[in-house]
Amino acid sequence: MKRREFLSFGAATLAIAPALLSAKDFRKEKPDVWTAKNVYEGDKPTEKGVEDAIKKLYGDVKPEEKGIKLKTPEVANNGGQIPIGIKSDIAAKTVAVFQDVNPESTVAVFTVPDGQPVDYLIKIKMKKTGTVTVILEGKDGKFYKASNHFKVALGGCEG
Amino acid sequence: MKVKAKVKGDVIKAKVLVKHDMLTYDQAKKKNTEANFITHISAKVGDKVVYDLSSSQFLSKNPLFKFSFKGAKAGDELEVSWVDLKGNSKSKKTKIK
Repeated sequence: MKRREFLSFGAATLAIAPALLSAKDFRKEKPDVWTAKNVYEGDKPTEKGVEDAIKKLYGDVKPEEKGIKLKTPEVANNGGQIPIGIKSDIAAKTVAVFQDVNPESTVAVFTVPDGQPVDYLIKIKMKKTGTVTVILEGKDGKFYKASNHFKVALGGCEG
Repeated sequence: MKVKAKVKGDVIKAKVLVKHDMLTYDQAKKKNTEANFITHISAKVGDKVVYDLSSSQFLSKNPLFKFSFKGAKAGDELEVSWVDLKGNSKSKKTKIK
């Protein structure tokens, strides 16, 4: 308790909450993952940006398409509030979420604390109909993947 | 920030709702202001981190986060903290039910 108070006093100038000092921050660790841009061919989204982001985050990996339950709506009525459910029984190190329609490809990266389950829900914005891709980095050194393509009724990036 | 955590079988299920505009670069340009969005959110019980997420401008406005974790029990305190692009941060503690 005393140590945390001390840290928060010193860290106040850095504006970083004490809880975060021990957590991994992928924005600092791998800044160019977050700037990987989605690539369109005319008005059709391609997976090039997503593939680029995956490479920047994990290197040249060949994920197997299994082990992840990715829950997305069939039609997202509100493109600004799209629920994305991710579940897996695989012992995971990290889980990364991408999409192919927004200006940049990377949405979020979870660092899975030791022994914790992968059972997440987040809500995201998508500009239009497209594909969400999830990559799970297993503790076994293997990579797994799931992706869902679904319709977005009202684009969500303009607010 | 609203945080709820409840024991369900052998895990604890947590639900976090944050009030944040999560303004993308495009949205900020239109409003003639600066982009700002949560870049990192994490949760811990005592000194143990149980949830850790680095995020982008593409999370929803007033974002919702749900997750499960082990290694805690009813009565323990869950502390959720986030940081945004501009360096603002917020923390909230809730007792696990």
